[in-house]
Amino acid sequence: MVYEADMHTFYKGAPDAVALPRTAEQVQKIVRLCRSEGVPVVPRGSGTGLIGGAVAPRGGVMVSLNRMDAVLEVDLPNRCAVVQPGLINLWLTKAVADRGYHFAPDPSSQMVSSIGGNVATNAGGPHCLKYGVTTNHVLGLEMVTGTGDLVRLGGRAPDRPGYDLTGTAVGSEGTFGLVTAITVRLLHAPEAVKTALATFASITEASEAVSEIIAAGIVPAALEMLDAAIISAINASLGKIYPDAADAVLLIELDGPRAEVEAQAERVAAICRRRGAVSLSVAADEAERALLWKGRKEAAGAVGRLTASYLLQDAVVPRSKLPQIMREMEAIAARHRVTIANVFHAGDGNLHPLICYDDRNADELERAKRANEELLNACIALGGSVTGEHGVGLDKAKNLPLQYGDADLNFMFRLRRVFDPDGIMNPDKLLPSHPACGEGFRPKRPVLPAGAWI
Amino acid sequence: MAVSAASVAGALAERLGRERVVIDPSALAAATIDGRTPRWIVRPASIEHVAAVLAIAWDENLAVVPRGAGTALLLGAPPSRVDIVLDLCGLDRVLEDHPDDLTVSVEAGVTAGALAERLTGRRQWLPVDPPGWRRRTLGGMTATGGAGPLRARYGTLRDLLLGVRFVQADGVVTWGGARVVKSVTGYDVPKLMVGSLGTLGVLCELTLRLQPMPDAEQTWLATFASVGAAQAFAARIVDSPLQPTRLEFLNEPAQRACQMPSAAAGVAVAIGSAHSAVREQGEQIAAIATSERARLAAVGDELWAHYDTALTPAEGEVVLRIGSLPSRLADTVGVVERALTVSERAALVTGCAALGTLRVGITGADPDIAHRLIEDVRNFLGAFDGSIVIESAPTALRAGVDPWGPVEPATLGLMSAIKREFDSRGVLNPGRFVGGL
Repeated sequence: MVYEADMHTFYKGAPDAVALPRTAEQVQKIVRLCRSEGVPVVPRGSGTGLIGGAVAPRGGVMVSLNRMDAVLEVDLPNRCAVVQPGLINLWLTKAVADRGYHFAPDPSSQMVSSIGGNVATNAGGPHCLKYGVTTNHVLGLEMVTGTGDLVRLGGRAPDRPGYDLTGTAVGSEGTFGLVTAITVRLLHAPEAVKTALATFASITEASEAVSEIIAAGIVPAALEMLDAAIISAINASLGKIYPDAADAVLLIELDGPRAEVEAQAERVAAICRRRGAVSLSVAADEAERALLWKGRKEAAGAVGRLTASYLLQDAVVPRSKLPQIMREMEAIAARHRVTIANVFHAGDGNLHPLICYDDRNADELERAKRANEELLNACIALGGSVTGEHGVGLDKAKNLPLQYGDADLNFMFRLRRVFDPDGIMNPDKLLPSHPACGEGFRPKRPVLPAGAWI
Repeated sequence: MAVSAASVAGALAERLGRERVVIDPSALAAATIDGRTPRWIVRPASIEHVAAVLAIAWDENLAVVPRGAGTALLLGAPPSRVDIVLDLCGLDRVLEDHPDDLTVSVEAGVTAGALAERLTGRRQWLPVDPPGWRRRTLGGMTATGGAGPLRARYGTLRDLLLGVRFVQADGVVTWGGARVVKSVTGYDVPKLMVGSLGTLGVLCELTLRLQPMPDAEQTWLATFASVGAAQAFAARIVDSPLQPTRLEFLNEPAQRACQMPSAAAGVAVAIGSAHSAVREQGEQIAAIATSERARLAAVGDELWAHYDTALTPAEGEVVLRIGSLPSRLADTVGVVERALTVSERAALVTGCAALGTLRVGITGADPDIAHRLIEDVRNFLGAFDGSIVIESAPTALRAGVDPWGPVEPATLGLMSAIKREFDSRGVLNPGRFVGGL
């Protein structure tokens, strides 16, 4: 039961067996056995993914990596660490925080999600706006590929010759193989942090403020948006954290050298006021700051107060298009008579609309699905992306043709086949069931002129 | 079925126009790469042209060497075959420009200098500055993995390339990545292309993340009696909340080449931030310099202008790119300097002290000495997976020693399998990349 779903409970698929390896050699043996038997291999970390990535729709062997959870080495002079994939994200930061360092990727699930899972999905988080997503912090990988070979990609020394297979493998969702060790970059803590809350009378005005902050060349550490529906759910569930009356709030965090933070804070405040901010307050101390973040990080849990079920999207739009997409979202919600709640990484245009429905009402689910689809199409039409940080999994594979043509899909299919020639690694995930992702497909080549070959 | 040279030229001319296919013997001779003279130089004006050229090359088993500004043609091994030199300088349009999103989409032949001119008025930049960057094309810098001092703060093109359109060896136009700053839709194809030397596809369009330019930037040069002391100073800067835009090691000849009063070792620290923050961080740097017994001087931006000029590779110069570790910087420099004889003592050794990357530039190098230096450094770095690559050198040196160095067999096996999958006929840059790919 535990292993039949991840956090996206739409998708169920129990494996025939679950393996709990402790060493890379054991992982290798599992993959080799599965390969010779033609059995699917499905990797799993903490099971906190949101895309139906760690489920086994075709059965097979689920490889749970949470027993491989050691910090193998901390190398602060070179600002890196080597960890096993099952290590919980936040534990790494806890292991180095006393010396002033941290692991930058901070998905909201960081208290429970594993670094191996973060690598599989190329996870983001609020502070990725300034510091980059998981891939920007992964220096090397040890991986058992779909052929059962143990390979080392990248490493702690920079600029290794050859193709950047580390960068290619991060975000491959277990379709290239199983990662057994990860070399990550560690960052030094900034000198100063300032966290502010700006409230707005409309989500459009808040979006305009976001677009203007980015256009002004300010890169906050985090720039998060919460709308009225989310604010009331959070306040009802966790106590009054954000102003009840606000239609939207921006959680703005600036960090860096003290004087730089001060200078930027003034400019951000001026932009918020110009865009109609109703109030602007700054966390006075660490406790107030922690409270502002508690609301944001636990938003997903608080949503239970708002709705029994929801569809969660992860599309991205160019930052300048935020006001436009928020207006379109309101129109879509009205047209399909659904509530859409918003809590998202506004600074990099990464939306997380929660499209609410009652699962006892089949018609409502249908309307929610239609709203979801229209919204995704609107994001792509604005030049956006299907998924910003959650990944593709089973959930979004069908949407890849929105963003990629036949040749692009075919290139990815062939790349996957190099790592996993027999198609045993996490089948059905990441790429769609599409002719371009099948054997024998030939993308269009230029037609050469007749008669030139004389 | 193979056809005659004349009919290949005819086919190219029919698709691109006669003026885009060069068959003049003196022009072809001037485009010789490592002793191999191309049979045609083709100057496409669009990605469709590139696709047509590659389709013909694929069908006829011709070897294609893509070329931008031609400043990095001596990177890696000599090509095993050269039929077509594909001059991409004609792909020089800016396709989409979104100042408010800090993104831009350009064709591969746009030079970094042209892009910088476009961006500077709005206080944005693409902070990638390998020596001589203004002249270089963005496609070339991406394909060769070029980087300079600004990587200390901003990373490399690996961190800035969001999307890429390329033409596969058989002429199929392909897109990977996204036009927004955050995307995990599908595989990260742009990462596969950065530094791949055009061996998997000819890069034609790049969508890049831009950065806001800091309000002010100030540079200080700290000088020391030994490289070890310079390393210790750099380690103190790195292990602090300071956020330098550049943290560049310079050996004594490199300081002189940058027209600075020189000492045995120097570290140039640049802080880019709000004016008040630059001042405050400067005070912190001064305090660290005092406790590390450095001489510290504020220097003007001209240090970086001189750096750029002095380090732009000259004819016949041997340039080596080293990936070491910050904690092994002094040891690595020591191995390099011990391998040099008196005549090469003027070698310029520079690099990012925050990351442990080094660049060695030797003018008038004796090939035997350079050969031995590469082997000594390779042996030393091998213990911790570092690497030394020949970025530029005369043909003989690159033919006599592996310019890339060893890659673990299992890892090289994967790289070879990828190359075979996408270019089984060896059309793209054959022989130049790691392991002879």
